[in-house]
Amino acid sequence: MITEAALKTVRHAVALVADPEYPDLNIEQLGILEDVVAENSAIRVDLVPTIMGCPALEVIEKDVVAAARASGYDVTVRFCMSPVWTPDRISNDAREILGREYSVAIRLRNGLTTCPVCGNKALQHRSDVGATACRSVEWCPDCRNPIEVVRSREIGQT
Amino acid sequence: MDEFEAFLDDGGIVEPNDDIPEPYRKAVFRFIEMHANSEYMGGLTERDWIPKAPGLHRKMTALAKSQDEIGHAHLLYMVAADLGIKTRKEMVTDLLEGRTHFQNVFHYRVHSWTDQIAVAYLVDAAALASQQAVFKNCSYGPYKRILRRVIAEEGFHMRNGEEMMLLMAHGTDVQHQMMQESIDRWWLPSIQLFGPDSKPDDELLRWHIKSERNEDLRDRYVQKFVPQLLAGNFTIPDSGLRQDNEDGKWKISDMDWQPLQDTMKNIGPDSSRRISDAKRAWYDAEWVRTALDDATKTPA
Repeated sequence: MITEAALKTVRHAVALVADPEYPDLNIEQLGILEDVVAENSAIRVDLVPTIMGCPALEVIEKDVVAAARASGYDVTVRFCMSPVWTPDRISNDAREILGREYSVAIRLRNGLTTCPVCGNKALQHRSDVGATACRSVEWCPDCRNPIEVVRSREIGQT
Repeated sequence: MDEFEAFLDDGGIVEPNDDIPEPYRKAVFRFIEMHANSEYMGGLTERDWIPKAPGLHRKMTALAKSQDEIGHAHLLYMVAADLGIKTRKEMVTDLLEGRTHFQNVFHYRVHSWTDQIAVAYLVDAAALASQQAVFKNCSYGPYKRILRRVIAEEGFHMRNGEEMMLLMAHGTDVQHQMMQESIDRWWLPSIQLFGPDSKPDDELLRWHIKSERNEDLRDRYVQKFVPQLLAGNFTIPDSGLRQDNEDGKWKISDMDWQPLQDTMKNIGPDSSRRISDAKRAWYDAEWVRTALDDATKTPA
């Protein structure tokens, strides 16, 4: 029997797993951690990948299993097909860190993006994908910096 | 210039809209162009291994790494072009015609899958160490911002390289032997990646484009990797390698720098094939660029 307390302990532990590509951010802040649930007599951690085919999934899975074990529990990890990850799942504090530390912007629901370096709102689109499949590349004509923007799963979708 | 140098010494960050002294502009341009070229050539090497990587997961990793490197090149070329010395097209043409340079490690042939692991483990780590040293104190704002992300992503590559190396270290005798042969091939290029000892008056150091001397970076790398390789029961292809009795530090033999000089003239062991492959890839994809340009043109 899995207790609520056990689920809570695991959730606290795995929430702190760092993202392999943004080591300052954890999977909860990025909206990758969906839920921790009891499945029969085991514990399952549900994760929502930012994009399908993300090469970091295996590493995240390993780190989640290790973090849970360190908190005293064995877990299995499931990557969910739904809900679909969108940039809206990124927490406000993570947005701030992405902008300040990484010069990475988030595209808002209304399609607007603000340059994280100078605050300019008129970024010029350069390419749908950049160094990673979850970021597009823009150019800020004001401060003259290339800006990467976290985007949704489908190419062309803003 | 004195005032500018004082500004840099105070930790000042140069932005594209500032008044930038020409010698600095040229130096920072050359440095970023070389970095961009290296990312680009590295991405193409990685690409060669996508179809040959063992298993779907390794293919995904190779694909993602290739995209990473090309994506980094993309950002770096944008920043380099903005410095107004060469257009992006001129930089690419110069690279493909062998008129400019890229890092020494991409002038060698990757013979086997374990060579590819050695590249991920030894070469990526050397590249990461030198990028971290640039990032730490880099005076050019846009470059520093790109490096922040490049470093985070390269760290992820390195972890991947380390994992694959350990798999071979604890694998069958044949796997261990293959890994050893790859280490024998890649050790020297990896430690030469840092370059020969920095000159006392190195302008890249003076202008805080780089923040650490080549020999210091190389030494730190040696101190980290010699014990790791020995722990994996590997030998290091340096007959003069010894551990200092006093401070316990590893000392490598004096190096023959001719191999590095050859790569700087694009006459390394695999330079011509690498460059012609890159050229073919570029011109084979010409129709894609044309189609994209046409598609985005606004109708008259």
